[in-house]
Amino acid sequence: MAATTASLRAAIEFIRTGAREASLPEERIGELDLLIEEIFMNVCCHAYPDGKQGVAAFTYSVPAPGELRVEVADQGAEFNPLAAPPPDLNLSLESRPIGGLGISLVKALSPSIAYRRDRDWNRLTFGVSAAS
Amino acid sequence: MVTIERRLVSDQVVLLVSGRMDAENAPQFEEQCRACIAEGVTGVVVDLGALTYVSSMGLRSFVSVAKTLQDKGGALRICRLTGLVKQVFEITGLARAFPVYDSVEAALLGG
Repeated sequence: MAATTASLRAAIEFIRTGAREASLPEERIGELDLLIEEIFMNVCCHAYPDGKQGVAAFTYSVPAPGELRVEVADQGAEFNPLAAPPPDLNLSLESRPIGGLGISLVKALSPSIAYRRDRDWNRLTFGVSAAS
Repeated sequence: MVTIERRLVSDQVVLLVSGRMDAENAPQFEEQCRACIAEGVTGVVVDLGALTYVSSMGLRSFVSVAKTLQDKGGALRICRLTGLVKQVFEITGLARAFPVYDSVEAALLGG
């Protein structure tokens, strides 16, 4: 789908289909929504600079009951968001930058998240488990 | 969808924020706060007891507004963090960075 904020709701609804198939409990759905939003918004904001229209591709699988695996892919320039230096989460409000917290949330909510570059695609893969 | 109800308590504004704050609607919260600031309000209490979801775009709004209020000698006080929203504030360290209270009354007194 188009990598724009207008597609966020559709992206979340698509992955919620997978969550239902995996029988994820309600308490995991909010975390899943957050993972999707953070990764997708990162693509929207950074993958396609200079006003270029781009896409984000979502796929999911249910390897076992209670397990959901999701991949978010984009065709932006090669970039691993997981490799960026983490922000200092101990800073006071005065010293903090305004943004930069999305990837910290993603890593905390899905520690197994992984990145790979596959030809022209950046691919982020993560899992959510009913037992998390 | 996020809804924001505003009430005035003495010279402080209490904003009851309900629903979900995400990339689409986080600007709504920031606009409400900036409207208060434009009216001369420097003390804002945000009741998040009915907020079920917040993303980093929402957090940006909180931090941005807090900085503006601090520059004016005021503060943004957060109260009634719960569930996933509390988890998000804790993961990002904002539960320590913000003045956080268990109730609106306590937050108003903290001002």
